[in-house]
Amino acid sequence: MSNKLSFYIDRPGPLHGLNPLTKLAVAFAFIIIAFSAHWYWAPLAIFIAGIIPIAVAGRLGREFFSTGVRLFLPLFAFLFIMQSLFYPGGETVLFRLWFLTVKLEGVRFAFLTAMRILVMVSSFMLVLLSTHPSALMSDLTQRGFPAMLSYIVTSTLQIIPQMRNKAGTIIDAQRSRGLNTEGSLGQRVKALLPLVGPLVFGSLVDVEERAVALEARAFNAPRKKTSLREIPDTNWEKVLRWFCLILMVASIGSNIWLS
Amino acid sequence: MRIEINDLHYIYNTGVEALCGVTFTVEPGERLAIVGQNGAGKTTLVKHLNGLLKPTRGSVTVGDWDTRQTATYRLAQRVGYVFQNPDEQLFCSSVGEEVAFGPHNLGFPDEKAEQLAQAAMALTEIATYTESNSYDLSPSMRKLVALASVLAMDTPVVVLDEPTTGQDAVNVGRMAHIVNHLHEQGKTVITITHDMDFCAENFTRLIAMAQGKVILDAPMHEAVSQGALLESTYVTPPQLTRLGKRLELSESICTTDEFLSALRGKAIKTHG
Amino acid sequence: MAIIELNDFSFQYTTSKQPALQHISFSVEEGEFIAVIGPNGSGKSTLCYTIAGFVPHFFKGETSGSVRVDGVETLSSTLAEMVLHAGLVFQNPFNQISGSKFTVYEEIAFGLENLGVPRNEMPDRIDEVMALTGIRELGDRSPYALSGGQQQRVALASILVMQPRVMVLDEPTSQLDPIGTREVFQVVRSMTGKGITIIMAEHKVEHIAAFADRVIVLDEGKILRQGTAHETLTDPLLPERGVGISRFTSVAQQAQQEALWPADQVLPVTLEEATEGFQEVLRGSHAH
Repeated sequence: MSNKLSFYIDRPGPLHGLNPLTKLAVAFAFIIIAFSAHWYWAPLAIFIAGIIPIAVAGRLGREFFSTGVRLFLPLFAFLFIMQSLFYPGGETVLFRLWFLTVKLEGVRFAFLTAMRILVMVSSFMLVLLSTHPSALMSDLTQRGFPAMLSYIVTSTLQIIPQMRNKAGTIIDAQRSRGLNTEGSLGQRVKALLPLVGPLVFGSLVDVEERAVALEARAFNAPRKKTSLREIPDTNWEKVLRWFCLILMVASIGSNIWLS
Repeated sequence: MRIEINDLHYIYNTGVEALCGVTFTVEPGERLAIVGQNGAGKTTLVKHLNGLLKPTRGSVTVGDWDTRQTATYRLAQRVGYVFQNPDEQLFCSSVGEEVAFGPHNLGFPDEKAEQLAQAAMALTEIATYTESNSYDLSPSMRKLVALASVLAMDTPVVVLDEPTTGQDAVNVGRMAHIVNHLHEQGKTVITITHDMDFCAENFTRLIAMAQGKVILDAPMHEAVSQGALLESTYVTPPQLTRLGKRLELSESICTTDEFLSALRGKAIKTHG
Repeated sequence: MAIIELNDFSFQYTTSKQPALQHISFSVEEGEFIAVIGPNGSGKSTLCYTIAGFVPHFFKGETSGSVRVDGVETLSSTLAEMVLHAGLVFQNPFNQISGSKFTVYEEIAFGLENLGVPRNEMPDRIDEVMALTGIRELGDRSPYALSGGQQQRVALASILVMQPRVMVLDEPTSQLDPIGTREVFQVVRSMTGKGITIIMAEHKVEHIAAFADRVIVLDEGKILRQGTAHETLTDPLLPERGVGISRFTSVAQQAQQEALWPADQVLPVTLEEATEGFQEVLRGSHAH
């Protein structure tokens, strides 16, 4: 049973050693370029020549493909079908299906959109696979990101699996009181409140206690927080991040200028 | 309602073998306490009684029902299981509704369900809170509400999972009274507990478990004298048992009366 | 000068119709171990929260009287200030895990990070409390993958590392099994050795007797009795008011009525004391 919601793979490699912000900067650069470039094949090119090599070099190839495929394929299929069938305008009809028409322009657009989404999903995936959530949050907090938001992200990742366990116990407890959790749809709907109720109310009790615990750990102390772990950052990464920023601005700029 | 457990084995999805061949029978009306360190398999065992877990091998029968073929919501007619954490059960807007939830599920007509709920609240002494919301009550009161909710189901077998954890002396006394009341009604009471004093004073049979097996199954008086065996599963014998042993009065003392009786006996013998 | 001083302190939660604490007055010297006992609802938790500053700054209500902890008037101070002076550990081990850290070592560091302690000072402080609480081998584990007793020791370490001069423990073993209870009391023993002032609310009377310098008995928000462990835990008023006492004490009380316990001997609180007393009776050293 997985105890965490994160995608992080603990396998030291070239990507793991990079500063989280650098990885985010490169990911955003890929995404912005993929969405704003005028060249039709730009997203696919980024994916094949940029993202895949990075995944392999970072020794994350296996998880990248298996998780990526698992997440992306259904999304891709859905998008493709929707865009192909409902593309407004366009004239070259490929074939008809009852009252729906599939046009070439639609298919072309669907493919472009799907490729752009692919770049987005896979870039973030690489960041998540190679960055421990606490490292990311720690780095952001050190740079001025509000500590409360950072806390919400990391605690959600850990507490949701625990809530899954709790939900399981609640189901057991209510079944022990004669609640039929299988059976007809009507029965299952009636079973919802006894299952959700304790989860919500119990969670409210827990939230209050956790708030007390956080206060006791000086979370709200009016001081600048320090951090146990130093997240490494190098000069060349800083340069790379600036370069990414310039690329993003240039890409958006050229998109507007060329339109 | 007789309970038969036959060569029960259970292996969790993770591969952990929690029960390695447990066999025993519980006669109707018995008061059985199950003790042992955490991880010994006590809760795993007891979850088989109402079908929350189904045997990997072996069988459990409650009366004439085989738990492997009966759903939990049906076994709930025969075995009432009081969970340790009340917050995992309570959801109704009033205590009265909460306590009546179980009997309604079991199909009792409204009037009968109300009657059972009221009797349960009287027994647990929470009738004054009938209109209150459970979550407005203290954690120890909520434990009593959860208990009442199961007692209202009027099942022939009642399973109590750590009934005295977090409770003060008054509530432990209430629990003792309730256990005895249930016994007088002819019900079978099975408890998992770490409170050996509560255990020795209110239950007549002890099963000690370690690593998925039963290492001791004996009438309470005999069981408490097995100091070494109990210690091997991190169970400390009751206070008075230890005292009785130190004073060489008896190895089987369970209650204050028994202690005083033994003390009197020896004092008279010594001083004539 | 006492490190804790309550003067005629009363408190009523805003959501409650009755006062939770009434006219509480007592003082505690530095390094003392005070046990607080009493039935559920007697105000033990409220008293713990008061000393730690959560009443009235987190749990709102009406106050009267004064509370002074480690030189700070708590009622006019802030929670952020109070947590520097008094650490709080409560019943539920699971809810004390912050959730923001993925290993025990980092979990303990969390408080130091919030206090702005320089990074190079952290490892020594963390190692010290991990040794004190006996959790050295647990450093790399997830706090969620531990037993109740282990989690409670992590909670203790996480607060101790912040070096408060007062530690407030609200029934820390209530939800633990016997092993966990034993582990926590071992840590408490280590803490007393370090000169930390400890206030502990507890039901498990037999463990308290060995440690407490003083016991305060609460009943319906008022102080019923206070004194040494022996004075309070053998007082016949306690069982009358629903406060649990050990079987050793209660059986000796009953034996006393039949002259089976020496009339002039103090009632026992522990197994050793009970054994000694009854052995004397059996030897016939006291005529009956």
